[in-house]
Amino acid sequence: MRLLRFVARRLLQVVPVLLGVVVVTFVLVRVLPGDPIRTILGPNATDADAAAARARFGLDKPMWQQFLDYLKGLATGDFGTSIQSGTSVGSELALRVGPTLELVVLSVSLALLIAVVLGVWSARRADRFGDHSVRILALVGNSMPEFWLGLVLILVGYSALGWFPAPSGRVDPDTNLTPLTGADLLDAILTGNGPAFTSALSHLALPVATLAIVVVAPLLRSVRASALEVLRSEAYLAATTHGLRPRTLLRGYLLRPTLVRLPALAALVFGTAIGSTVLIEYVYSWQGFGQWALRGLLYRDYPVVQASVLLIALGYVIVFLIADVVHAVLDPRVRI
Amino acid sequence: MTHLLSIEDLSVLIRRPGRDVAALSGVDLHVDAGEVVGLVGESGGGKSMVARAIVALLPGGARTRGAVRFEGADVLAMDEAALATHRGHGAALCFQNPRGALSPTRTVGRQLTDRLTTHQRMDKAAARETARQLFEAVGIRNPARRLDAYPHELSGGMAQRVMISLATGCAPGLLIADEPTTGLDVTLTREILRQFRHAADTDGRGVLLISHDLASIASVCDRVVVLYAGTVVESGPVAKVLREPAHPYTRALLASVPDVSGRPARAIGGAMPLLPSPPAACPFAPRCAHATERCTAQRPPLTGDGWAYACFHPQTGGGAAAPGAPPPPPRGGAGRGGVGGVGADALPRPGGAPACPPPPPGAAPAAPVTAPPPQRTAAGRVVMEIEDAHVVYGSRFGSGGHHALRGVSLEIRAGETVGVVGESGCGKSTLARLMLGLTAPSSGTVRLDGIDLHAQRGRKLRRLRTRARLVFQDPVGSLSPRRTVADAIGEPLRALGVPAAERAERVAQVLARMNLDPAMLRRHPHELSGGQAQRVGIARALVGDPDLIVFDEPTSALDVTVQAQILDVIAELAGDASRGSVFISHDLATVRGFCDRVVVLYLGRIVEQGPVEEVFGNPRHPYTRALLSSAPSLDGGYTGARVELAKDLEEADAATGCPLAARCPFATDECRAEPQHLTPYGAAEAACWRVPQIPALIREGAHTRA
Repeated sequence: MRLLRFVARRLLQVVPVLLGVVVVTFVLVRVLPGDPIRTILGPNATDADAAAARARFGLDKPMWQQFLDYLKGLATGDFGTSIQSGTSVGSELALRVGPTLELVVLSVSLALLIAVVLGVWSARRADRFGDHSVRILALVGNSMPEFWLGLVLILVGYSALGWFPAPSGRVDPDTNLTPLTGADLLDAILTGNGPAFTSALSHLALPVATLAIVVVAPLLRSVRASALEVLRSEAYLAATTHGLRPRTLLRGYLLRPTLVRLPALAALVFGTAIGSTVLIEYVYSWQGFGQWALRGLLYRDYPVVQASVLLIALGYVIVFLIADVVHAVLDPRVRI
Repeated sequence: MTHLLSIEDLSVLIRRPGRDVAALSGVDLHVDAGEVVGLVGESGGGKSMVARAIVALLPGGARTRGAVRFEGADVLAMDEAALATHRGHGAALCFQNPRGALSPTRTVGRQLTDRLTTHQRMDKAAARETARQLFEAVGIRNPARRLDAYPHELSGGMAQRVMISLATGCAPGLLIADEPTTGLDVTLTREILRQFRHAADTDGRGVLLISHDLASIASVCDRVVVLYAGTVVESGPVAKVLREPAHPYTRALLASVPDVSGRPARAIGGAMPLLPSPPAACPFAPRCAHATERCTAQRPPLTGDGWAYACFHPQTGGGAAAPGAPPPPPRGGAGRGGVGGVGADALPRPGGAPACPPPPPGAAPAAPVTAPPPQRTAAGRVVMEIEDAHVVYGSRFGSGGHHALRGVSLEIRAGETVGVVGESGCGKSTLARLMLGLTAPSSGTVRLDGIDLHAQRGRKLRRLRTRARLVFQDPVGSLSPRRTVADAIGEPLRALGVPAAERAERVAQVLARMNLDPAMLRRHPHELSGGQAQRVGIARALVGDPDLIVFDEPTSALDVTVQAQILDVIAELAGDASRGSVFISHDLATVRGFCDRVVVLYLGRIVEQGPVEEVFGNPRHPYTRALLSSAPSLDGGYTGARVELAKDLEEADAATGCPLAARCPFATDECRAEPQHLTPYGAAEAACWRVPQIPALIREGAHTRA
């Protein structure tokens, strides 16, 4: 019950945060140099053409009026019309968020799993050969730029070994996947489309691996450090001297106190992962959220920038909320 | 006959790069089933190393020689599988710091059932029921509910009980307790120690009780082994070792504990050495007043059967704690006699120094002979005045909260030392915070030097605060780890805006008064020993020449022998006529050492106050009697009629009536209904209307019990 109340309270706090984000993005994107109308019309357009285009997107109105219109649209779920493509931002968003979210969630989950298993394993063999190798491998993964790592994985996994499909698209069009959420793997599960599932999974494998390798190092180091701390704690020593079985020791006395500090870091890593998708989508020729947001920013496509920043902010708030709840569940000393 | 545990000529050498430490050198000891053996000595003496050797958990780089035989099998030679059974089921360890030794993210019930299912092969339901019974057996009330508590939700005493239940839940043959009562107050200490005696008597376990405090464990042990610098210096039955110790170190150790009967503590000079290799001579010789050339050339063997000691010059006669000694002479500040005891002449010579003929048996131990200090002028100016102060710590949300002080009035004059005693949770620390202006009273006033402390703001408040200083319980923890000793001591002067040159001068002065080497000024706290750090803490309190110094349990985190040294320093300071001192402690004996007046707190109220001799020699309130009764003592201690309180330690509903009524054996309906106020009885005041009847009631009780 206390947990539910905490979640409700935090969700209420989201409203002022998002409102602030809306205001700041709205003003900032207009203050920045660059004119979206000139960009789409090209060098040959006359002033009259520009004025007409401006009127069409409502950019000729005073700023406060534009802001009010924007707010009104937001209230009804309308994110406006993309200046660049002329289509509704909302529908474009719906198409692109799913795949990127799927990529990030899968990668971070995979990274967390690897980090916990290897981190604890590594801590139990502290300063031995296995421990050193794991830490060096994690460091190497962390220091490789994601675009380069992506290219290497394509070269190895597609060109040389041929185990994975070509880096174009997210699912084989022959599988006739009906899009529901935009996240192909999830759609394949929801529609029970076996061939589409296999195809989506093989397309996802390399990008997920790339992103996971890039973000796993900080998680692994953190897990290893806290596992070491637990292993050296008096509480663990007490459990050991009382002769508890290794399995009980691992599950009851090592794992949970080790994981206590992980959620906060995992939330931060999640944020980094969202940023990394821009390059990874580029390398694997995905039409994802990252690519879309980047292009919107380059062309000063006001509605696109506003919508993507708002969405990222919302994502951050929710991820941190989840992290806090998980932390509270793991650590009984945390009062929420 | 084989012993349950027998340690044979055990040596542990810890090899670290650049430095070897001979943690144990040829230790012999044994424990039988159903027996409680005490292992005593200062920290660094190797007590914990013995405990770790018994469960084969020695630190990295440790080399061992000799054997630790448990039921005949050598623990040090066991393989992993044998060790897994031996740990817990063979020997189970109770850790010193129960809060730290309980896993923070698992309920205590789960932690206990883990042990039960592992070692007693129970299924889950049976384990939970047994866990409940075990909790009940160690005196945890509401055991079924407590099973689901997490360690951070338990008080220190409760956590210690849980720790004991965890160790006994392994059904061990041998129970090892590492300083199980450190930091607990007297009534809890007694309760906890009783648990160990119980484990030996009813369950037939062997118990190894490790402690630095001889007095507290004396009552439950059958035999005692004294360790010094990794060697056994004396071992034997309690009656012998503690009553007529032969080894000078045992005598010194005993003498350094102040006693509730009024015998002051005497410090041993010097510190225990950390030996790089097993000693070739008597390790105690450098600190020993009886040492001869032979002691520094040869290591005395442990000789004797049953009662053995390793000394060429064994002492005879009653120790510091001679039984049957008449009560010490009326105290005219004899406690301050300890001052002369620092340095080379520090060794007590109970039973007579070699030069003097031994006193007749049963004679009073040599009380330090000092001229009584000049009679204190009772009319010193009032430095601290508390009037009907209440403190309520509100809970974080909504109503309720903890009523820490309920109407305390107190006056402290310059030149006076007031002791504040009571169990943990009685409001002692809140009173300290109140006097320093760290906590504001919910109602009532606190005046420092006649100025209302809590009506001041900003700069005025800061200046006023420098007039009252605190000496903390944790000496190292209360110093900033990144600042040098000079910075730490000079800090109050900086707050006052004293220029650097004068600051350095005053810091040097106060350092000299603390007998600290000026070279110490450039050190950092982690380079100091506990005793040195506490001296720095006292110097810091003293440097601004405050009107009031509050000592909040300044010695409870220190080794006994260091405690005695620090008590000497404090006793000397308390003699200054320009300043009032408050000494807060749950250890009655230290308070009796040098306080003029004593205040007994219970649940935020003063239940008795008066001159120290009056309150301790002739206690009136049932609570004071109970506190004195449970104080550990080797000298016979409190000689008055003993009073036992009911076990109930939960905060009673003290809204109406006497707060003690729920625990008091003499409580009547009137006690439960009527609040009690301090009423003068002789030189003291007590808040109990039945004071005149209590002696008769005690006699009756004794009759009915007999």
